[in-house]
Amino acid sequence: MNEHISSAYDRDLEAITTLIMKMGGLVEDAILKAAKSLADRDVELAEEVRANDKAIDALEVQINEEAARVIALRAPVSKDLRSILTVLRLSASLERIGDYAKNIAKRTSVLVGMNPVNGSDSALRRMAREVEQMLKDTLDAYVRGDATLAEDVRQRDHEVDQMYNALFREFLTFMMEDPRNITACMHLHFMAKNIERMGDLTTNMAEQVIYLVTGEMPEEARPKSDKTAFVTNPS
Amino acid sequence: MEDMYHADRAMSTQQDIKIKADKVQVYYADNHAIKDVDVEIADKTVTAFIGPSGCGKSTFLRCLNRMNDTIDICRVEGDITIDGEDIYDPKVDPVQLRAKVGMVFQKPNPFPKSIYDNVAYGPKIHGLARNKAELDEIVEKSLRKAALWNEAKDRLTAPGTGLSGGQQQRLCIARAIATAPEVLLMDEPCSALDPIATAQVEELIDELRQSYSVVIVTHSMQQAARVSQKTAFFHLGNLVEYDDTDKIFTNPEDSRTESYISGRIG
Repeated sequence: MNEHISSAYDRDLEAITTLIMKMGGLVEDAILKAAKSLADRDVELAEEVRANDKAIDALEVQINEEAARVIALRAPVSKDLRSILTVLRLSASLERIGDYAKNIAKRTSVLVGMNPVNGSDSALRRMAREVEQMLKDTLDAYVRGDATLAEDVRQRDHEVDQMYNALFREFLTFMMEDPRNITACMHLHFMAKNIERMGDLTTNMAEQVIYLVTGEMPEEARPKSDKTAFVTNPS
Repeated sequence: MEDMYHADRAMSTQQDIKIKADKVQVYYADNHAIKDVDVEIADKTVTAFIGPSGCGKSTFLRCLNRMNDTIDICRVEGDITIDGEDIYDPKVDPVQLRAKVGMVFQKPNPFPKSIYDNVAYGPKIHGLARNKAELDEIVEKSLRKAALWNEAKDRLTAPGTGLSGGQQQRLCIARAIATAPEVLLMDEPCSALDPIATAQVEELIDELRQSYSVVIVTHSMQQAARVSQKTAFFHLGNLVEYDDTDKIFTNPEDSRTESYISGRIG
């Protein structure tokens, strides 16, 4: 896309993109650190994730203000309009993902006092890595205007859903085996659910990138694999 | 409720074709100013022509009521029909045509006469009123439609040129609609007006849409976006893109349209 006749307009838009990338970087970091803090039972790291969330929230506010300013002063149209609408949605999703990471960190500080539940830490960490990779690709797709990569991310969400399904069943089994596992498993389950929701939000972001690039929201349904809403007692 | 609103909007833009242009070429001597323009302009719709200076949008607009006839070196080819009638047919009287296809210009240009006479002039020469009472009625109706009646009713005998710029432009609109036209052409009608007067004229354009097919040439992207339902983008004499206004301003097909409306180097 050619540059604007008003170069200040280009600088405004670039500045907002930079803020999104900065926010995205912080959120990726929060996801990985939250998962690591759980795996390593590292309370300090968990505390750091909780503290860093403030910076993420502040960036969201800043992005919203910048976007409002561009709308007021430049009356963006067409692709410029889509890019402003997109940053507003991306920043909102990133902020939510940051909150989920913070929530994982909070639960980590509780879990350190409990026995690890057989292998679930590493499963959660794999899930978090997968989501972080999806987020990274979404941000790359955003910066490069790459709808194909965004579509790829969109399709990958179902892997995260499947990991979540497996963990859900596992936690259920542990809790039935020994009621003393329930507290830990409840926390771990919420962590898994948090990561699964991060995947959904990342998928929304990828869809927003597709809208930015093509002007249209993807229409075909993506595979939905979170089946836990229909789980009954195992027989 | 939302659905009804959208259905209503969709209905209001799906109108009969009022003006149809087919392979229109315009030459000013050797200069090929309009190249192969095909367009269908709907009735009871505001259609905006946008494009950089010299792109041919005003030239094309002027073809629609044969204003280009007055320019000796100008040659128009192709077909332009209004309600299926060829307006370049030798049988068509351009004066009658211009009563049917009214025009408002960039600079308000009231006649150096009273407000009343400005509006009454057209109906008088076209014999649209049989007596003074009828003429009074036409003048009042036109001024009301142009949202000028309340400001002008107590000073109908005052000169039209004594009005403010925005009022003068509304007077010109009243004058244009006094001959009961079917199409209203507007060539940058707000470029000499302040934002308040502009908003009043835009509000008026939206009301006129109930009765007329309005075609407006504008340099203001925002104005095109605000008042029109259809937008045509002209570039170097070509009609590059013609579509629903919201499509043009959210997701245009052609990169030249995109560059122009978003203020990019094309």
